[in-house]
Amino acid sequence: MQPQDSWKVVDRADAGLDAAEGIAFVSDPGVGGIDVFIGTVRDLNQGRRVRGITYDLFEPLVLGEFERLVAETRAAFGPRIRLYVAHAKGRLAVGDVAVVVAAGAPHRDEAFRACRALIEAVKHRSPIWKQEHYEDGDSVWSEGCSLCHAQDQETLR
Amino acid sequence: MRQVTVQLFGAFSDLDPRREVIVEVAGTRIADLRVALRELLVVRWPGFRAELLDYSAFADTQQVLRDHEALPADGRVAVLPPVSGG
Repeated sequence: MQPQDSWKVVDRADAGLDAAEGIAFVSDPGVGGIDVFIGTVRDLNQGRRVRGITYDLFEPLVLGEFERLVAETRAAFGPRIRLYVAHAKGRLAVGDVAVVVAAGAPHRDEAFRACRALIEAVKHRSPIWKQEHYEDGDSVWSEGCSLCHAQDQETLR
Repeated sequence: MRQVTVQLFGAFSDLDPRREVIVEVAGTRIADLRVALRELLVVRWPGFRAELLDYSAFADTQQVLRDHEALPADGRVAVLPPVSGG
């Protein structure tokens, strides 16, 4: 891990994610722009009222993948960038923070682009699954991106 | 035949409260495990959408394993349905 990078998984039963922590981590005298993505649990999906989401993770592989994604982002945007990734696991309520990605860079353009690239890669390549819980008592696992050909994909462009 | 312990994630985790299943595999490759697990799903959990396996990946704790790769020496593999983090 580079000293300007941080990634972690936080069990909701222990603590909530704190975007301010991400901002503080990527802050630096050499940073002139910070971009932060905060993903939260919303109350409606495809017309169904949502009560909460359970995040299931294959944690050792998630942490390894975060490390790879941060390294790829650093390679794409240069050594002066600072990166932070945190993802929640366990049961979250509506409004809870599910993911925080922060990027600090000398200029805003790199900060915007690096943050966008990193959150997209996190969503598409990390072994994380969400199960939505609805007000009618039903629960459904969401299906997103298949990892079958993940190693063939180039997500940072 | 070789015994492989498959850790279950996402939709697969509903299959067993221990979140893992033992699969007898005739072969040494991930592709052989995919075939064996598909057969087991149909027999043991007939109500489960076995076709989910067709677009699911396998992995050890370090990396995604492609179908042509060898099964891990420790006999432990995770099955990863399509991901939906964030």
